[in-house]
Amino acid sequence: MADFLFELGIEEVPVSEIKNITGQLKDKFISKLDTQKITFASLESAATNRRFMVHISGLADKSQDHDEQIQGPALNIAYDNKGNSTIALKKFIESQGINKSNLIEIETKKGTYTGTQKKTKGKLTYDVLTEIIPEVLRELIFSKTMLWNKYRTPFIRPIKNILSLLNSQLIECQFAGIKSSNLIHGHNLLSAEPLDIHSVKDYIEKLNNNFVMVRDDERREKILNEIKNIEEELNARVELDLDSLDYYIYNNEYPVVFTGEFEKKYLSLPSEIISTFMRKEKKLQPIYDPKGNMMKIFLGVSNIPDENKNVVHGNEKVIQATLEDAKFFWENDKKDDFISLREKLKNVIFQKDLGSFFDKTERVKDLTEFLAQITRNTGLTDNLGQASLYCKNDLVTRMVREFPSLQGIMGGLYLRENQYDEDIWITIYNHYLPRGFSDEKLEHLGAGLLSLADKIDNITGLLYKGIKTSGSKDPYGIRRDANAIIKLMIDLKLDFDLNPLIQFAAENLFSHLKPKKIGEDAVTLTLKIKKLFNIRIENVFKDSLNLKPDLISAIMNEDTMFIYTMYQRARAVLNMKKTTSIEHLIILHKRLKNIIKNIEPYPIAKEHLVEKEEKILFEIFNQSKTRVEELILDHQYIQAGSIILEMKPVIDNFFNSVLVNAKDEKLKKNRIALLQKIDELLSKIADFSSIVE
Amino acid sequence: MSLQDIILKLQEFWSLNGCCIVSGYDHEVGAGTMTPDTFFRVLGKKPWRIAYWQPSRRPDDGRYGENPNRVQKHNQFQVILKPVPADGQNLYFNSLQQLGVDIRNHDIKFDEDNWASPSLGAWGVGWQVMCDGLEITQYTYFQQAGGLELNPNSLEITYGLERLAMFLDGQNNIYNLTWGHQVPYSDFRYEEERQFSKYNFEYAHIDFLRSIFNQYKDEAERLIEANLYLPAFDLVLKCSHTFNVLDARKAISIAERTTLMTTLRNLSSRIARKYIEDTEGEPEKEETSG
Repeated sequence: MADFLFELGIEEVPVSEIKNITGQLKDKFISKLDTQKITFASLESAATNRRFMVHISGLADKSQDHDEQIQGPALNIAYDNKGNSTIALKKFIESQGINKSNLIEIETKKGTYTGTQKKTKGKLTYDVLTEIIPEVLRELIFSKTMLWNKYRTPFIRPIKNILSLLNSQLIECQFAGIKSSNLIHGHNLLSAEPLDIHSVKDYIEKLNNNFVMVRDDERREKILNEIKNIEEELNARVELDLDSLDYYIYNNEYPVVFTGEFEKKYLSLPSEIISTFMRKEKKLQPIYDPKGNMMKIFLGVSNIPDENKNVVHGNEKVIQATLEDAKFFWENDKKDDFISLREKLKNVIFQKDLGSFFDKTERVKDLTEFLAQITRNTGLTDNLGQASLYCKNDLVTRMVREFPSLQGIMGGLYLRENQYDEDIWITIYNHYLPRGFSDEKLEHLGAGLLSLADKIDNITGLLYKGIKTSGSKDPYGIRRDANAIIKLMIDLKLDFDLNPLIQFAAENLFSHLKPKKIGEDAVTLTLKIKKLFNIRIENVFKDSLNLKPDLISAIMNEDTMFIYTMYQRARAVLNMKKTTSIEHLIILHKRLKNIIKNIEPYPIAKEHLVEKEEKILFEIFNQSKTRVEELILDHQYIQAGSIILEMKPVIDNFFNSVLVNAKDEKLKKNRIALLQKIDELLSKIADFSSIVE
Repeated sequence: MSLQDIILKLQEFWSLNGCCIVSGYDHEVGAGTMTPDTFFRVLGKKPWRIAYWQPSRRPDDGRYGENPNRVQKHNQFQVILKPVPADGQNLYFNSLQQLGVDIRNHDIKFDEDNWASPSLGAWGVGWQVMCDGLEITQYTYFQQAGGLELNPNSLEITYGLERLAMFLDGQNNIYNLTWGHQVPYSDFRYEEERQFSKYNFEYAHIDFLRSIFNQYKDEAERLIEANLYLPAFDLVLKCSHTFNVLDARKAISIAERTTLMTTLRNLSSRIARKYIEDTEGEPEKEETSG
């Protein structure tokens, strides 16, 4: 049994790539050892921006002996008509270094082949690792690579060292011109000399003594503990998002949390501005008092202990200058009349072929009007109209040019400064939200409707331009916008059919566009957008509710896209699936569908009901129908389902006693009509017949 | 430490490390990267080690002399090492120590910041070096220039001299720096910042600038045709600066920006190719994306 220790020392890797690389390293070592049939007990990995470590323990000393079948030419090619070996077979025998007596026949899907059984002796783990290490490194995939030395091996950043130890023995290998070696680097500032490593114990100890906490979890814990202490000490709160935390964990080998102060006068700036400048520009965190007010203290993470407070004082100066810049943008932008900035939008292109942002706001205004109508919020029409016209004005402010992530927010803040109507500025402030399905819920109805209008216009325009949404990439945010629309409809209980809005958006785009693209029309565009949404709905429901495909088809409807309703139906069916009652509904619905499939709807005539059982069923059905429909309107699908289930004995009696396929065509049609009615009602909850048990 | 001392020490340090110390370019440039001593030297096979002090202009960064940290003209110290040395980061740390930075007591971080200059058809991979939160250096491995893939690659180290001086001097305000011999930075620079901010943001004549942009461009094309790629490059620099002033005047829409950038990029690419043809024959390989 052996211990394998691997470290790739590298110049600072971007934090966003580190977890991905660690994962790949792990997977590749595991799969390659597996292919080579070398067993091991456990694998541990760790990373900072300057090193990737993999430690495999309980590693077998050599790979297992194994039998391997090697396939030769197909039987009909290996022998001629007389049964003599062909050249193909002779070549195979020669290349394998065997004689004819070693030949076997191998059955495959494509027919019988010749072949041979080979015993492969286990290889020494040392030899295997010598081969594997450069392979692993070569196969790593990065989002962007670079070249730096004459070996011209693309990699994410220049490699500084490769440590590869099998117990205490150095595995000799080379990658990108770097030879493996026992020497690694400690902390880039605090450890001047390279460290000489001969064992795992050596590695951990020497790194520890040289200000490198190699394990991710230890750094995370240290940072979170220190932040917690600061929160307690200051009676304050730090809102740390996961990206910032990752940045601190991976960009520091010896993380030390510190706080500093800035001048109180900057707190007169809107807190959104301060936090954006701190986080995006300086990787520092604002701190809030228990009431949620921003304090004049910030927090950061240093890579050294900072006994002399150099880091604190340096960052204090930097934040001062940064806030001074923020103040410059804020005050200069405020000198402009915000409303009149709209004229300047004429010079800002939204997208090639789709006109300027000025044009976009005109379209969005029409869309909000339509939306206010179909969501029965016509009282909001005027405010939404105004918000539409001015929602993009902030794109020409200095603040947003500098920090695009403040778009919308700044528009709202500048309007607030101008004492503009509160509902309108809040609408604009929030109209970029939500950013995708997993974002937080947006509470403000007006902002939600403006956001919806803006996003459906984005999607319509981009699909018109011919932007594709295939593959894993979504550079124009089409999918993100569609997901956001789905989320808005669910969160704000906007129970309307998306189809007419899609059609309106397409027609609206065509009526506004001056030169139109040849070969495009609103009808085709409408279909494209519907198709996109059908796929998005499936995906979002699948991801967020863990909905299986059969349940999705049970609640999807070909003709309408009442997304809120669909979502409620999906949740109801999922809940029903937890009980046994759904089985009865599934059996019932399948039975109904079997009888009535491919039959056009018939009208029902009371006078043609002759048997007692069908008369009773008709009566009970009519009694239940109204209640079921009321419940469905109220999205009470589970209750609606149980009322239908209450009819079960009556329906069973009907099936047991009444022959649907009666000889008398009139009676037959009437019975089918009765079953069609039940199917119709049941389908308003879900198509239970498509659910797989 | 005064700005003057920093420049002298950096010149001395990099001279000792094999660099030719040359003068900055006598042209408005947005960064030390844009001068011929970077643009042409990183192309082709010939090894170079060069360092120079380069005043750089970014009209949009002007603050009328009122911001303690931002100016429309600042000074850079530019180092080009080709091929890339194996111990570049160490060399860099040594240069900081030469300036008196106690690197064990400051939080010096290499923060991802990939550099790209669309107008030069150039890009590189690297970092901004942060010292206690202050960006003091750009550290870049050049990958492409003038649309050509570079082989060998060059390492570019660009020190922001005012930033370094503020750090070394413990100053909050750029105008309180000392240029040398107790002469304050503001004596040289304050009025210049005030006037140029006014010019860049308010007085620059948009129609005039548009017209000279086009004239420079036409002249550059004429010179490229005549194989005079060095003067042609000067004209690209003039175009680039004119573009930056127009931009500060907010006279350039997004669509126009793309068009003008493409114009400059095409000119730079043709110039780069002429240079390689002239010095080494046909360029080997062409890259189109960054």
